[in-house]
Amino acid sequence: MITATDLCKEFNGGAVKALRGVSLNIERGSFVAIIGASGSGKSTLMNVMSGLERADSGSVVACGQDLSAMTDKQLTEFRREYVGFVFQQYYLLPHLSVEKNVRLGADLAGNKDYIREIEAVGLVDKLKAMPSALSGGEQQRVCIARALAKKPQILFLDEPTGALDESTGRSVLDYIAKLKAERGFTMVMVTHNRNIADMANTVVEMNSGKIVSVTDNPAPKSAYEIGW
Amino acid sequence: MVIGIKNGIKLFGISVVCFCAVFVCTFFLNYYMDALAIDKAVSGDLRTLYDANITSAKFTCAITGGVLCLIAVVMTVFYIKLFIDGNAKRFGILKAMGYSDNKISLSFWVFGLSTFIGAAVGYGAGHAIMPLIYREMTIDGMPAITISYHVELLVALVIAPTILFSAFACLYAKLSLRRNVVSMIKGGKATAKSKLRPSSKQRPFLVEMCLSTLAGKKSVVFFVAFACFCYSAMLQMGLTMSDLSSVIMGVMILVIGAVLGVTALFMAITTAINANKSSIAVMKAFGYSAKERAVALLAGYVPFAILGFALGTVYQHVLMTVMVNVVFADVKSVATYRFGIGYFFITLGTFVMLYACAMAVYAVRINKVPIKEIMSNE
Repeated sequence: MITATDLCKEFNGGAVKALRGVSLNIERGSFVAIIGASGSGKSTLMNVMSGLERADSGSVVACGQDLSAMTDKQLTEFRREYVGFVFQQYYLLPHLSVEKNVRLGADLAGNKDYIREIEAVGLVDKLKAMPSALSGGEQQRVCIARALAKKPQILFLDEPTGALDESTGRSVLDYIAKLKAERGFTMVMVTHNRNIADMANTVVEMNSGKIVSVTDNPAPKSAYEIGW
Repeated sequence: MVIGIKNGIKLFGISVVCFCAVFVCTFFLNYYMDALAIDKAVSGDLRTLYDANITSAKFTCAITGGVLCLIAVVMTVFYIKLFIDGNAKRFGILKAMGYSDNKISLSFWVFGLSTFIGAAVGYGAGHAIMPLIYREMTIDGMPAITISYHVELLVALVIAPTILFSAFACLYAKLSLRRNVVSMIKGGKATAKSKLRPSSKQRPFLVEMCLSTLAGKKSVVFFVAFACFCYSAMLQMGLTMSDLSSVIMGVMILVIGAVLGVTALFMAITTAINANKSSIAVMKAFGYSAKERAVALLAGYVPFAILGFALGTVYQHVLMTVMVNVVFADVKSVATYRFGIGYFFITLGTFVMLYACAMAVYAVRINKVPIKEIMSNE
């Protein structure tokens, strides 16, 4: 599904080496957790694999397409076609209701049945609510519905529970896991919480811009079985 | 210092508006005060012309100075609010450390510096052009009006506005800083509640985004309409004045209108883009094309631009009718005023071209908003 080869990425004119020759293969339908301390390069790796930004060198082939050879316009089309995002800080549009925020994703895929996604995250009674009237967990669930409404083949999640308390975080992860099991999309989650990685099929650990281990997890746990 | 001086002097919009207001008021008020010296020496037929000149000077000062002063106040409020929102975290930390609202708000005096820069340059430019204006307003047979320096104008047009705007900035900042410290430290915006009511209408997302952009920042809508109003009214008025009174007066009004219009439009759209950076970045991340992003953000302003242009046309027509048919009614040498259909189309044509160019430039800027706005790099 995604093959990253020898990725390098620097910031601030080389002062920060975020990725140092990272290679990774992600299978279709798998759940990959990328873990590591702050500054380890995990978010940069996700951004490069999702086509949000380019590596300085190396290549990424995702859904059969070589992202490293694409123009900005082609990368935008790639993301439109194949990718969904859930961000740590939600980034819901503040002046649009839950339903209309979800349409941001749905309209891209011509998805008329987007209410289903809102039902799936348990917010059908909040269709007309504005983001400011929702709790953090509810806002993150809207983000998940928004990402899934565009029917992505790969869902990228950047610290989806980073701004949530334990109980809300578990509930959000439970929704994500159930939807993944139901729909079978590939999922790549960046987190600094090692316990959450117990839910994934594959755990990639990063440190100082390099992958230090790739571990298969034969028995992923549910959101309510993991530690916090 | 809580706020650096450079923050206070970069409010270009306020400087331009103050420049225009003080520039016009300087030479008209100076003319008015100098003309009073020959008041008793004017009689007979010349009296009508003299009175008309005096009235038009007072009328222009009141209208231009008054309206532009109000606009500068609105702009100051607009900038301070944006500044506090953008720096909510920093002010929240200062408040948490024990800085009082008074102490922080006093540092907002620097926002009066933009007023000072605009007013001082306008005052200087007004004096520079004064001999030309006096010559234009000379009436054959009347005693010559000589240029005198009136220090009270320096106080009224430069020093007083600077002090008043600085005081106003401090006062408004004090009121705006009355927020919960914790919510400010968290960024201020996250807890801001939308005052908009959700609509039950089923519209495509891009239309919804367009409408929410408008409703989210109504001040931007006002400034877009105001920019087009200024451009339309002052260009048509300038062209008409070139025929009716003097080419210099006409060109001056025309240039002020174009500068004010372009500055206000620039300020408004830049603010709209800055306020929606994260929304634009989310749309970009999700795969919305550059054209779709530009339409979602800019298309909603078009009806208000047209409305501003139309109102400007009506306003200048009414103003010119009043000036010529009422103020100068008894002056035989002033030609009859008729609505200049040709000037209307010239103004409309240049307006459409300028607006389209501005939107094209901003579409490029929207495309350049980085996705980094919403992502972290480790």
